[in-house]
Amino acid sequence: MTDMTSPMPHARTDAPDAEGREERRLGFWLTLPAQLLVLFIALFPILMQIYISLTDWSPLDGIPWYRAYELWIGLLNYADLAGDPRFWSALWRTGLVMAICVPVQVLLGLGLAILFVDDFRGKRVLYSTILVPMMVVPAVAGYMFFMLFQSGGPINDLLSMISGQRVTIAWLSDPDLALFAVIVSDIWQWTPLMFLILLAGMVSVPQDQQMAAVLLGASWGRRFRTIVLPRMKTIIIIAVAIRVIENFKVFDNFYIMTGGGPGVATETISIYIYKVTQQELIWGYVAAIALAILIVLSVVSMLAIRKMRKA
Amino acid sequence: MTEIVMENLGKDFGDFTALAGMNLTIGDGEFVALLGPSGCGKSTTMNMIAGMLDPSHGEIRFDGRPMNGVPMARRGVGFVFQNYAIFTHMSVRENLAYGLRAQGVGRSEITRRVAEIAELLQLTPMLDRRAAGLSVNILQRLAIGRSAVVEPAIFLLDEPLSNVDAAFRAVMRSELKSLQRQFRQTMVYVTHDQLEAMTMADRIAVMDHGRLLQVGTPLEVYNHPADTFVARFIGAPGMNLLSGQVVSSDSGTQVDLGAAGRSGPVMAAQGGDVLFGFRPEEVQPDPAGPLAMQVSMVERIGARTILHLVTQGHEAKAVLDSETPTPGQGEVFRFSIPAASVRLFDAKTERAL
Amino acid sequence: MQRSLSFEIFRYTAIALFLALSLIPTAWMLSMAFKPIAEWQSSGVDLTWWPNNPTLDNFRFIFGHSSSDLIVALDRTAGRPILASLLSASFGTAIAMTAGTAAAYGLSRFGFGGNLPLALIQLRLFPPMAVMIPVMIMWAFLGLIDTWWGLALIYGIVTLPFAFWLMKTFFDDMPREIEDAALVEGCSRWRVFLRVTLPMMRPALASSALFVFILNWSDYLIALLLTTRDWVTIPVYMASLSSSMTGQLYGAKAALGLIAAVPPVIMGIAIQKQLVRGLTFGALKE
Repeated sequence: MTDMTSPMPHARTDAPDAEGREERRLGFWLTLPAQLLVLFIALFPILMQIYISLTDWSPLDGIPWYRAYELWIGLLNYADLAGDPRFWSALWRTGLVMAICVPVQVLLGLGLAILFVDDFRGKRVLYSTILVPMMVVPAVAGYMFFMLFQSGGPINDLLSMISGQRVTIAWLSDPDLALFAVIVSDIWQWTPLMFLILLAGMVSVPQDQQMAAVLLGASWGRRFRTIVLPRMKTIIIIAVAIRVIENFKVFDNFYIMTGGGPGVATETISIYIYKVTQQELIWGYVAAIALAILIVLSVVSMLAIRKMRKA
Repeated sequence: MTEIVMENLGKDFGDFTALAGMNLTIGDGEFVALLGPSGCGKSTTMNMIAGMLDPSHGEIRFDGRPMNGVPMARRGVGFVFQNYAIFTHMSVRENLAYGLRAQGVGRSEITRRVAEIAELLQLTPMLDRRAAGLSVNILQRLAIGRSAVVEPAIFLLDEPLSNVDAAFRAVMRSELKSLQRQFRQTMVYVTHDQLEAMTMADRIAVMDHGRLLQVGTPLEVYNHPADTFVARFIGAPGMNLLSGQVVSSDSGTQVDLGAAGRSGPVMAAQGGDVLFGFRPEEVQPDPAGPLAMQVSMVERIGARTILHLVTQGHEAKAVLDSETPTPGQGEVFRFSIPAASVRLFDAKTERAL
Repeated sequence: MQRSLSFEIFRYTAIALFLALSLIPTAWMLSMAFKPIAEWQSSGVDLTWWPNNPTLDNFRFIFGHSSSDLIVALDRTAGRPILASLLSASFGTAIAMTAGTAAAYGLSRFGFGGNLPLALIQLRLFPPMAVMIPVMIMWAFLGLIDTWWGLALIYGIVTLPFAFWLMKTFFDDMPREIEDAALVEGCSRWRVFLRVTLPMMRPALASSALFVFILNWSDYLIALLLTTRDWVTIPVYMASLSSSMTGQLYGAKAALGLIAAVPPVIMGIAIQKQLVRGLTFGALKE
């Protein structure tokens, strides 16, 4: 855990000593529960994770976890990981999903934000309605799309109506189509989030600067390019960072829709870890994967936080 | 370089009338100040000239061309915002070039004109600085330069000095005035500060509650206010107005001010209740003067001394130069007003007589 | 700024188009939830887009009332999972809000816990999957597997960052003069916190709590890993409805999905003003 010097607010210069002591005591007790919870979930588990990742421990062996050293294998798990094609393909797939979803979500969100930036009739209701998907429980969203993409489901029915012949595409059992389907569900669910954040950013672009640009003869496009976008740069970075990081966690809707399948066609990194945890039960290995991911994410997130701080 | 004509111009926001039937012609190259307290309709007027607001009724014409419905980008209007609206994420140079780029002016032409305007406004040394960290006076010059570089026919300035501290305002006022002389553009200047209007404008349009009360040169509105609002608003302190009655006697027409005495002879075309107006600066200390009021406070401000005067039902101020011996607090101050300095207003309509 | 008529037409058309697409999945689930078995079992030939004979059978079924059409014995009904979701999400919210509010106040006013903001952001950034092995071991060790309180504890920790950051931005925004006035009156700091600050922050507390509740309620993965039978939550229960030999119980699952989806949607709309703040850790306030 990094220590950070926080600004000492509220320096009561005339505070007598007794009061200062009271403040210190209160500050300590108030922050204690959170500190304990963080220790409980961060420090201890990570140490445990490092320990187990150096062993071949599995909950099935009948050896309690603290005696996992009996199965000490050193860095072998990490060596295995480097040569595990399923891990790399899951990582690559996570990247692919991200590379498709995030830009589409940003562009759709930006487009919607442009439509919502000034006032019009019905704005409030439409705004709330647009936000609905992001508030649907992701597992339920996964189930919605599971139903939609059934071969006898409404999407094929719609396609049948359009094409005039019966369409029975097996969306979720074709590797490419299944990946397409889960991507659609992700875009559906998280475009509203992008919209929400980007709109907040767009609204904060000073109105008089845009007015000044209009009076100087700038077209809408030029204004958007030279005033609005540059001023939204930080917000766009924050929004993208949030989605990129969330994408590593993507599990619920994918798993419900396809279970990672067919085969490993929609197996992202979280689903991969879950499967190894639940189905193959080699927890020493899982610990190694998880740590590797944590390190990568920590680096990515530190960069994002630094950017956020500057904002 | 355009003449602006406003004819019966009005703006309503729902039930609220921001501007009612304004008629005003601003001549080519003229510097007109729209002066009034906040909510008087001056900004509404300006925004309609710029095209940010559509009039509810009436018409605006530039050189005879009706402007109703013409989008603001095509009106050829330069606008300096109250907070300057500088593009703080760009350099000074980029700010200055913005309008030219937007209008598709060629690269070398842009370079030349930006350099020219920067030289004129003494912005050359900071051309490549980011606009974000600049001081207010530089921001103001930049705001003017950014609008001026595209050579708009009309320049609109919305309270450009209201964010500046008092000491700097004087400098900025003379700077603005000399800039206007150089550009020779038609300028409309919105302000609530009568001093700014008085020192810079060719003509002042005084407004209140959505109505245009008087238009005239600074001296005209100062010397001959059309009504009591203008009389009070122009000048610091504003004109004294004491209620009295016009009476005729052997010594000619006079105004009876009750406890304060009876004024010297005045020229009055009308009898009855009037408001007796005079500038605090016109008060002449005179031990034998016809008027007397009690001094409630003595304010000494450098070269000037302001006496606050009261008498039953009347309040007035007198501005004397500090050399003049003044009575102390609580004493009675006798004075006279030269007949030529007296302005009479109808007590009911509050219009000048 | 005036916008032209053609822009207005474009705006409404584009929004309508987007909303039409965006509402299809939700509308479909709604439709499925009220379809009788004959309609939702359709294999695509005679698909109905809207229930011809709307019925509440699906809801009755998941609460244990078999109908004549749907003779499937559920090994357990939806009542217990709903209770599990409610208990774990509520108590998880309580844990997160209590610890988060206290710590946020301690940091915002007394400068204590300077390590927390960053530590909590990091905690938030980790995919839960990547720390679940030790958590599963610890929870097994502490006997917390398959209990609602064990779930509530982990929910409280996972959502603590949100509670903390939301409350911190609210405390930072709150003027201190009122607290100072109470201090001058001779109240102790602790009393000021309980009697002055917290009551003033009631709206902020309410919206933060709702935000945190939505997150807890929405969890699937953690419950999947830490519950097995007695205290599975709605999403886990829903997924398990299909693994029986009866095949997909579309209507029943849609009904359950609807029950799961409605509360967070309503809460989310209620607190939409604070959503941006919560989702960006206070970097953006709107």
